[in-house]
Amino acid sequence: MSEESRLKRVLSAGRFAVTAECGPPKGADPEAVRKKGGLLKGCVDSVNVTDNQTGVVRLSSLAACVLLREEGFDPVLQMVTRDRNRIALQSDILGASALGIRNILCLSGDHQVFGNQPQAKGVFDIDSIQLIQVVRQMRDEGHIIGGEKLTQPPDLFIGASENPFAEPAAYRVARLAKKIGAGADFIQTQCIYNLSRFGKWMSQLRDKSYDKRAYILGGITPLKSAKMAEYMSKKVAGMDLPEEVVARMKSVPTSEQRKEGIKIAVETIEALREMKGVSGVHIMAIEWEEVVPQLVEEAGLMPRPSFGKE
Amino acid sequence: MITAERKPLAEIKAMIAPYSKILLAGCGTCVAECASGGEKEVSLLASQLRMDARMEGREIEIKEITLDRQCVYEFIDQLTSLIDQYDVVLSLGCGAGVQAVAEVFQKVIVLPGLNTTFIGETKEAGIWFENCRACGDCKLGLFAAVCPITRCAKGLLNGPCGGSKGEHCEVDVDTPCAWQLIVTRLEERGRLDFLEQVHPPVDWSKSQGKGPRKILREDQKN
Amino acid sequence: MDREAARITIFFCQQVDSEQETNRRAIERELGDRIRFFPLPCSGRIDTLQLLRAIEAGADIVYLVTCSRGACRYREGNIRAWKRSAYARRLIEEIGLEGERLEVIQANERQTIDEITRSLLTRDIHVGPSPLRAK
Repeated sequence: MSEESRLKRVLSAGRFAVTAECGPPKGADPEAVRKKGGLLKGCVDSVNVTDNQTGVVRLSSLAACVLLREEGFDPVLQMVTRDRNRIALQSDILGASALGIRNILCLSGDHQVFGNQPQAKGVFDIDSIQLIQVVRQMRDEGHIIGGEKLTQPPDLFIGASENPFAEPAAYRVARLAKKIGAGADFIQTQCIYNLSRFGKWMSQLRDKSYDKRAYILGGITPLKSAKMAEYMSKKVAGMDLPEEVVARMKSVPTSEQRKEGIKIAVETIEALREMKGVSGVHIMAIEWEEVVPQLVEEAGLMPRPSFGKE
Repeated sequence: MITAERKPLAEIKAMIAPYSKILLAGCGTCVAECASGGEKEVSLLASQLRMDARMEGREIEIKEITLDRQCVYEFIDQLTSLIDQYDVVLSLGCGAGVQAVAEVFQKVIVLPGLNTTFIGETKEAGIWFENCRACGDCKLGLFAAVCPITRCAKGLLNGPCGGSKGEHCEVDVDTPCAWQLIVTRLEERGRLDFLEQVHPPVDWSKSQGKGPRKILREDQKN
Repeated sequence: MDREAARITIFFCQQVDSEQETNRRAIERELGDRIRFFPLPCSGRIDTLQLLRAIEAGADIVYLVTCSRGACRYREGNIRAWKRSAYARRLIEEIGLEGERLEVIQANERQTIDEITRSLLTRDIHVGPSPLRAK
């Protein structure tokens, strides 16, 4: 029987976890996946593989997860409900587990209108919370939707994403409760720039002991430039990037902005380590995977824990 | 009501090009309400088609008639005495009307002058919004009478998603986020408890995939 | 085209000139069937179809005379009239006719229908004779 989720082992051992994200290529070359993985070797506990993110056709998340597993990683299969119905989703859950994938992140998915196939039919047969419930039922009760028994249940550590900064703001904690109730074992949040607002959200979670029922991993995206900061603060839905952060990025010359962005990210990681109830960080350095080892190193999170035979 | 929009004139012209005697049939119900296929619209289109034909030196004869409803046999029957005098029926009914007429007069060519769009409400004069997808399993009582299947772009039953911008859907800045509305209204009524349980997956077999649906009522039959 | 040859239809709001019935007789006599007047109790009573039918009947130019912005006795009548004329323009453009054949004129309060019409008759006409004229 293949090993259990490394991410689960790190978290249940009480260690501060580090996960990162890997976007598959827009082509059929497996080397591209291995190369990206190579940039993250040794500095993360698990790697998320995105699922046709933003509705852009890429090498499938499941295939990329298998390629990364062969390289020794513990992948997190991101699965959106936008593209497949419940038959295909449940089938892929079984397939992923059979191929040794041990973590799944259940998402609805960005609407297809944003991608390169805007005329596609958005499936949305079930939503992300129903998907969490389905995976949990398959794993813990050994049956699919409708009750029919599986010959062997999948073994998957179940994740969900949550955006503490999205609207309606007052409902965000209740929504998290729903995901945890449905079966989420861990939560990865949207990237954090407003630590005080995130802190308030965490304190609301702690009041209800949600941090004890699921592991919370705070999202981190290092800023590459002041332009990026400005864009994200104004144009991206559900993002809270305060003026002070934009100003800080603008206050340094362009050639120094990457360094400043890294500094801000490291400071944020350090703050999250000190925050009660936060069990780790999820680093989303899209198209900048090379910076992850530096972030992990400078935040004092190296080396990553090892569990014997690895 | 069912809303529709008139097809572009070029498309209508191309469809009726082989014909010179046109029975232009409107409908006095839904498509009249959304100003696309009622008596007025029949007259406007007839005037355009006559002028266009004259300018191109073509012969055209257009009979204008508007049925109270184009989807009910008793009203379609009003065409029976006229139908043989024309080459084709250009219908300004919704898709249901066009087909109902075609079923009654199976040897007649019936063409659609409208693109049927959605089931919706007249918000105010000139503004129509889709609000129902005819899913066959109405859950409006659970969602403060805001349909998440129709008005949420992802049809989430356990929304919202993480993408709404302010109070608007990530897909269209002019569309309110349905889940923002649902949460706000339930909150106002003190009924957020409706959202605590995970709503199970929709039974899509009630609305799609098995071909056209039907309703049979013995008590209503003649 | 030569303005002396143009066939003109004028829809107009009666509120513009309370003596309109008398005031238009002189022009009607002078121009005969080159001009047709259609008084309306308010320009807002114009129906898009009336504008189309006037073009269909062979008018080279159709004018819709409304009260000026803010002066409509019934408040939004002229606003509705403007919207319907814009729609009528799009419908005639759809069949290849020039939108300029349909024009909205906002009257100022001091003019009679006779004065308004005479000033319209001095305008240059930039479109040709209507292709819908009876041959």
